[in-house]
Amino acid sequence: MQVETPLVLLKNRHLGRPATFEEYRAGGGYEALIATVGKRTPAEVLQLVLDADLRGRGGAGFPAGKKWQGIPAGYVGPRYVVVNTDEMEPGTFKDRILVNTDPHLVIEGIILCAYAVQATEGVCFIRPSYESDAVLIEEQSQVARDHGLLGDNILGSGFSFDIHVHRSAGRYICGEASAQIKAISGLRPNPRKGGPRTSVKGLWDCPTIVNNLETLANLPGIVRNGPDWFKSLARSAGGSGTKLFSVSGRISRPGCYELPIGTPLREILDHAGGMPPGRVLKAVIPGGASTPFMPDKYLDLEMDFEPMKRAGQRFGTASIMVFDQNTCLVGATLNLMEFFTRESCGWCTPCREGLPYVRHLLRLIEGGQGEEEHIGMIKDMAQAMRSAYCAFAPGAAEPLLSLFEYFEPEVREHLRQKRCPFGNPPPAMRGKACGTRPPTFGPTPCPEDQCPI
Amino acid sequence: MPDLIIDGRPVRVPKGTPVIAAAESLGIVIPRFCWHPALGAAGACRMCAVMFLDGPVKGLEMSCMVPAADGMVVETFHPEAVTFRRRVVELLMANHPHDCPVCDEGGHCLLQDETISGGHALRRFPGRKRTYLDQDLGPFIQHEMNRCIHCYRCARFYQEYCGYLDFGPMQNANRVYFGRFASGPLESPFSGNLADICPTGTLTDKPGRYKSRRWDCQRAPSVCPHCSLGCATVALSRYREVVRVEARENPAVNGHFICDRGRYSFGYAASAERPRQARADGVPTSMSTALALAGTRLGGVVEAFGPEAVAVVGSARSSLETQTALTALARAGGWRGPAFFADRTEQQAVAAALAALAGGRARSLAEIGQADAVLCLGVSPLHDAPMLALSLRQAARAGAVVAVADPRPATLPLPFTHLPLAPDKLPGAAALLTGAEAADAAAIQRALPLSPELWPALERLAPAFAAAGNPVLVFAPALAAQAPADARFGLFPVLCGPNAAGAALVADADAPACDDLARAIEAGEVKGLVLAEADAAALSPRLAAALPGLETLVVLDHLPTPSFAAAKVFLPTQTLFESGGTLCNNEARLQYAAPVAPPGEPVSRDGRGGHPPRDYARKLPGTDPLPAAALCAVLALEMGLDMPALSFAAFTGVGPEDVAPEGTRATRLPAAPTAPAPPSAPPGQGLVVVRDDALFATDAYGRYAPLARAQAPAASVVRLHPDDAAGLGLADGEALTVTVGDRRIEATLAVSAAVARGAAVVPRLPGWAGLPAAIGPETLRRRQP
Amino acid sequence: MSLPDAVVAEIDGVIAAVEHHKREAAVDVMYALQRHYGYLCDEAMHYASKALDMTTLELESLATFYDYLYRRPVGRYVIHVCDSVVCWMFHQDSIFDYLCRKLGVPPGGTTEDGMFTVLPAACIGNCHNAPSMLINGRFYDRLTAERIDAVLAELRQSAEEPVRCK
Ligand SMILES: Cc1cc2nc3c(=O)[nH]c(=O)nc-3n(C[C@H](O)[C@H](O)[C@H](O)COP(=O)(O)O)c2cc1C
Ligand code: SF4
Ligand code: FES
Repeated sequence: MQVETPLVLLKNRHLGRPATFEEYRAGGGYEALIATVGKRTPAEVLQLVLDADLRGRGGAGFPAGKKWQGIPAGYVGPRYVVVNTDEMEPGTFKDRILVNTDPHLVIEGIILCAYAVQATEGVCFIRPSYESDAVLIEEQSQVARDHGLLGDNILGSGFSFDIHVHRSAGRYICGEASAQIKAISGLRPNPRKGGPRTSVKGLWDCPTIVNNLETLANLPGIVRNGPDWFKSLARSAGGSGTKLFSVSGRISRPGCYELPIGTPLREILDHAGGMPPGRVLKAVIPGGASTPFMPDKYLDLEMDFEPMKRAGQRFGTASIMVFDQNTCLVGATLNLMEFFTRESCGWCTPCREGLPYVRHLLRLIEGGQGEEEHIGMIKDMAQAMRSAYCAFAPGAAEPLLSLFEYFEPEVREHLRQKRCPFGNPPPAMRGKACGTRPPTFGPTPCPEDQCPI
Repeated sequence: MPDLIIDGRPVRVPKGTPVIAAAESLGIVIPRFCWHPALGAAGACRMCAVMFLDGPVKGLEMSCMVPAADGMVVETFHPEAVTFRRRVVELLMANHPHDCPVCDEGGHCLLQDETISGGHALRRFPGRKRTYLDQDLGPFIQHEMNRCIHCYRCARFYQEYCGYLDFGPMQNANRVYFGRFASGPLESPFSGNLADICPTGTLTDKPGRYKSRRWDCQRAPSVCPHCSLGCATVALSRYREVVRVEARENPAVNGHFICDRGRYSFGYAASAERPRQARADGVPTSMSTALALAGTRLGGVVEAFGPEAVAVVGSARSSLETQTALTALARAGGWRGPAFFADRTEQQAVAAALAALAGGRARSLAEIGQADAVLCLGVSPLHDAPMLALSLRQAARAGAVVAVADPRPATLPLPFTHLPLAPDKLPGAAALLTGAEAADAAAIQRALPLSPELWPALERLAPAFAAAGNPVLVFAPALAAQAPADARFGLFPVLCGPNAAGAALVADADAPACDDLARAIEAGEVKGLVLAEADAAALSPRLAAALPGLETLVVLDHLPTPSFAAAKVFLPTQTLFESGGTLCNNEARLQYAAPVAPPGEPVSRDGRGGHPPRDYARKLPGTDPLPAAALCAVLALEMGLDMPALSFAAFTGVGPEDVAPEGTRATRLPAAPTAPAPPSAPPGQGLVVVRDDALFATDAYGRYAPLARAQAPAASVVRLHPDDAAGLGLADGEALTVTVGDRRIEATLAVSAAVARGAAVVPRLPGWAGLPAAIGPETLRRRQP
Repeated sequence: MSLPDAVVAEIDGVIAAVEHHKREAAVDVMYALQRHYGYLCDEAMHYASKALDMTTLELESLATFYDYLYRRPVGRYVIHVCDSVVCWMFHQDSIFDYLCRKLGVPPGGTTEDGMFTVLPAACIGNCHNAPSMLINGRFYDRLTAERIDAVLAELRQSAEEPVRCK
């Protein structure tokens, strides 16, 4: 059974192209901003967001309002909003869809956030493969500027705020908030821990709010329709709002679906057309690559932060990757480990050394050369990865540990048959470019191989 | 002051202390790689994991990242922590080569220690090890990236602590590489510390490489004699040769580090040119013959002309023991001296600088790192006292304002304001910044009417200095009179020579200076001279010129100086590494350098390449040298003099037995001597000569250390302000001939606005010592091709 | 070889836009130079170092960290083939192999005519169209051998200047 659900974030999607300023305006766009800037106090906006219980959509689910409250009261000087559009979590593509559907919704959201925290400058951090989004935001923010909604003295209120795009040059770790700030600052994007929070000392040592782009896109709705409306959108008790679910993998209609938060997995999959003919669901990864495999027994679990946490699962970025009965989960996990190994910043031992370690063992197992003892070794290291410096390696440990929690028999089948039972060819023992560097490499590009990076 | 419990033992530590340091105060050494007391926490290696059982933090956490807090209960050997640490070592060893047998770090390798402490003995990982290509990082540091465990200590030290940006991490993930953009010498003058802080053999001391296993070395705590700061070092000797000098921790002075000058200038001790044998009239002879001859010759002078006809010269590079013995010898014979300084003014200046420290106003290097405003007056930190620059950087990192008022161009790895002013303008500039009230624009313009380009900077600095709660004045002795009465200001003189302070304390207030002795020789009043560890040419060109007028010249030294060549009788002395000795640093801190090894011709030379050495003599070659102090006593005996047993306690108030490992400040400072007159404008027309050190080979010892000499710039450079160069009709880069007395020195001209107007900056090298105070076109000439 | 005025002006503009925090322009300046030179040659690194007041080491620290900055020559078109898990599920590896075979290059290699470089890439955010690749800022969806042939042919024909990040 499919229920029509209200579209909030993607309501202009029917256009099949980015909505223009006029189209956005026609649907009530920028009303929230007009009713706010110079009319409500920043504290009032903050209160709305707190009441709406808006939780971060970037993976961790931290309440946005609470984060904003972290800016020291009475601080004088520049404040920044960083819009995290890095979206490098495998399986996630919601922010791209969102920007390409309604760029002004995003821009209005950013300005509202800036107003609430009295920020002076916004930085959209955009990954290289989303170059078209970068251009779109640049163009459309100029449109907003031309309408007096952005830039100096917004709507004559005396509040000034502007946005610029910071183009990233890649690497998943740049999505981590403190690493992102360093990346913007022209420093190596190693995350920073300890010391003051970024809301106290962030970009250029000034208070900085880092939020996911989708998080901010919820603000116009909340401000216009109120917290109660926002909460009523959710289906789970205690949840709030709708959520963009990126559904991909073995599913009939992969894509990005906006559904109430708390919609059970089964229904989400139905929206995406269900399993293709002849395919049976084995597991999903529910929230992007750093969340655990979730076997089919959780099909009726409400997809929301708290219910999933209670079930020992993670909501993450709500990027559902569907694996069917013919997909080798050892291979899938190996693929994830290849990703994490390559994208690590290289700061701490469990991540920099632990990931290549488990990757190697998984390659052996997938290639039929696995030994019984490798299983214990992988588990040991996955455990050690949980005590890494930032959330990157612990994220990588999630699918790895869940592979053994739910699918250890499948792993052992590899050992028994001395090959991949799904017929996958043995993986290359030494990576693919960039992971393809031969063991010898120097300070600049590896001298002996071809990889230019 | 949080109270916590670590492994069942209560401990109270200052607020902000990380748990790893709190544990250390109990003697519990938690394994670590990236944490370093000077660099703080990085949280990168994850080796220091411990279990927090109770308190504000719970669970497995890094003890370096968590500040101690009340109520914490920490267990370092909790099974979960032990297991985790074992995994970390396993991971690090997964890629670390097993080349310990040929690794210079072997035996003092933190990774070896922690591999044991982590309980990792058997490799179970079946994969291959990662390998890298290495870079050539210059003469001091050897690169061996395969051994890297990525603790990031090197990069944090090099970039954050020292402020140099030519070395650091590249690449990401498991490919992180520490190196330079391209092979080439490291730019930092503190690069040698990389060998000390790297916990593995990735970055090792290149000159000392393959000379010895560390545990086979004789080691002793020593004190650096290459500037007046007296940084703590460890000297390592093997096969009768000092092979390496490392930094030794001294919280008050150098912290954990030393500069490259201090680390790589030890070669004078084992240099092939070092005179090791006594000489009589230029002919090698035995020690006893030479001593007897010295006694006879000096005795002859006394007999013929009276005791006043014999004089003694010492220097700022000798230990207090030597300086004291020279004094005792001179007193016993009724001779003149000892003279330690070139002229009276210099001696008075150093004494005045020390006198100013009375009343608790002396600051240590560590305290400079905590100051909130520092004015360097007539001091160019990186050259005059390199480690001062590192302390200034720490101060600047914490937000301090740093200004350098000095005629020489200054580069420092920190934000600072340079005020290039000629020496006679420095007192005025000091007055503007050290007053209790911020000087206003009018006062600034009045004080420095001819330097309008400096007004804005001074207007910015003046209020910052006036508002500072903990300012420090770093000053050259000639500017001792500028020490402000304002007790807010701590004082930090920078002297010339490792024991200049000792010399000033030991010298009588009315002792003659070298120039006085030169005059006496010229007048025929002095006929015999004892030069002890002093080079007349470097000290006083006038004295050097007067030497031929002597009947006898007895030289005691271990450096092959021109005075050694001129000696009638030469007696070899031991170096600080061999005899040990006490040095008094610029803040009047007495520190003892222990002997490391007896003197002797290094085995490498003795064997002439053969192994083992083929000379089966009973006596080891090159072991004649004696401590200078002992030579004084023997000489006294030879001459039948009754030399009193003097201890330097008489001059410093601190006896040898009272010198603590971290040093003890002298308590007997000169009582308010006449402060030197402030530097005045040069008489008539001309440029004031200002001498500048280079990092290497300008100090008395470094000049004779082959490795240090190899780092010295190939050509001497004279620096002028563009206006002055234009006035002389000279252009940047031009080849010059500089006339010094009857000699001509070749040099190149460097023109820079960072030189004070009216100053000519020349190298501090003995050859340049004879320049008059002010020079003009007759001295600086374009070299004719 | 001196840079054309247009490139110099572009770089000056990028730096001027972030005037107070010059370092923020580091990646943009390197992108600009990369567009001009095709990749970040040493000359480009030295130029960037001067323009940004950063040492070449600092810039190398960044250039070698990121995967969209190339420190070696690359082709006119850099093909970033997504090799993350969803594309993998759709047999990305055989797509990748096909591409390499077709172009006659190893992974990371550049064709002799300097047209194409093949690189595996971390998830490019196009998972619903797996398997997928990114060429100079454009996505190519649901790849098959035939589709790859068509894309390569089309690119070979194209006279258009490739857009590479911006
Ligand atoms: C390794 C890692 C990668 C991340 N990548 C992203 C990302 O691509 N996009 C994102 O919005 N948040 C990402 N995050 C989460 C951010 O650190 C941060 O929590 C988030 O941007 C905050 O925004 P929110 O509160 O609106 O979710 C990542 C976190 C980690 C640890
Ligand atoms: S877990 Fe460690 S190495 Fe990995 S990304 Fe985080 S800080 Fe970097
Ligand atoms: S010493 Fe604590 S993490 Fe390295």
